[in-house]
Amino acid sequence: MKLKRYEDMNLLELDVMKEISSIGTSHAATALSKLLQKEIRISIPEVNILGYEETVDKIGYIEELVTATLVRMSNEVNGLMLFIFKLDLANAVLEKLIGKQYESFMDLDELAYSALEEVGNIIICSYVNAFTQLVGVEIDLSVPSSTVNMLGGVLTVPIAEYGYETDKLMYINAEFIMDGKKLSDGLLMLPDIKSLNDILEKLGVS
Amino acid sequence: MAERELKVGIGDMKFARGDSRIITYALGSCIGITFYDPLIKLGGLLHIMLPNRVDPNDPKVFKYADSGIRETIRKLTAFGMVKSRTVVKIAGGAKMFEMKGSSDFGNIGQRNAAMVKKILMEERFRISAEDTGGAYARTMLIDVSNGDVVIRTVGKPEKHL
Repeated sequence: MKLKRYEDMNLLELDVMKEISSIGTSHAATALSKLLQKEIRISIPEVNILGYEETVDKIGYIEELVTATLVRMSNEVNGLMLFIFKLDLANAVLEKLIGKQYESFMDLDELAYSALEEVGNIIICSYVNAFTQLVGVEIDLSVPSSTVNMLGGVLTVPIAEYGYETDKLMYINAEFIMDGKKLSDGLLMLPDIKSLNDILEKLGVS
Repeated sequence: MAERELKVGIGDMKFARGDSRIITYALGSCIGITFYDPLIKLGGLLHIMLPNRVDPNDPKVFKYADSGIRETIRKLTAFGMVKSRTVVKIAGGAKMFEMKGSSDFGNIGQRNAAMVKKILMEERFRISAEDTGGAYARTMLIDVSNGDVVIRTVGKPEKHL
């Protein structure tokens, strides 16, 4: 294995990840567009390899309440996909889907909660589908699991899961543009290190 | 009175004496462990992330329960902490996501809690209060002037351990 940690990726490898992510997130935006029957554009994503605290700062603040959906990847790529909703994006989605907005994630009812989980799942699935086609790997996805929790607490899950391999997270930072408003996403793709090596090898950059 | 507030990051430890507060934010599956010697008003807060240090050369001692607790005890003892007087409290170790069909996933919180208790017992420290488990993140704070430990969670009143 060439790479031992996420941060070992060189500029070329990061660029390739960014390219794939760009296609992945645009698939995700298209899926979301269809679901909400609304034009959604997406900015070119940045792929950031960041430590825990930097990731928290980039997404929001540590005690900020967020809704997060987690899906596990298995088969040829093992790892986690995490989608984090901040309140503005969640409200834009919920307004369209169930015609309601919420002051806080604490007020979410069962319907809103499952709507968000489903949207998170759709974004993750369409991203991963684009990814599998491009890279030529088989990835199985688990059923989604969600939580309403502090951002800092949510991010300890991937950081602890791979804590023996790396202290970094791969944060794919793109902006959804809906009704002229920029809404920041929070998509994290976290293949384990072996899978990351396999991916880069398949793409011919490793 | 200008109080000092120290912030403890993930896999880190801070300690202070007298008028200070030590805080760590959003413990998920991680565990916060406070040590407090009331006689000399010495307090420490350790934030561990994983149960045990596998690589003995890994310099991040405070990231792991085993090496983190031992190093914290060593440091605080050097600053005058006496075991028989010391009050230890722990919080965190939540299971943030419930994964259907994979019971081992996300159990890291539970494993962390078990290891923290085991190491503290081996080191002969008694845990006087704990707030562990559940499915929610916690912010933990110790007021070093009196040893008061506060747990903050979203949507619930503050809790004094």
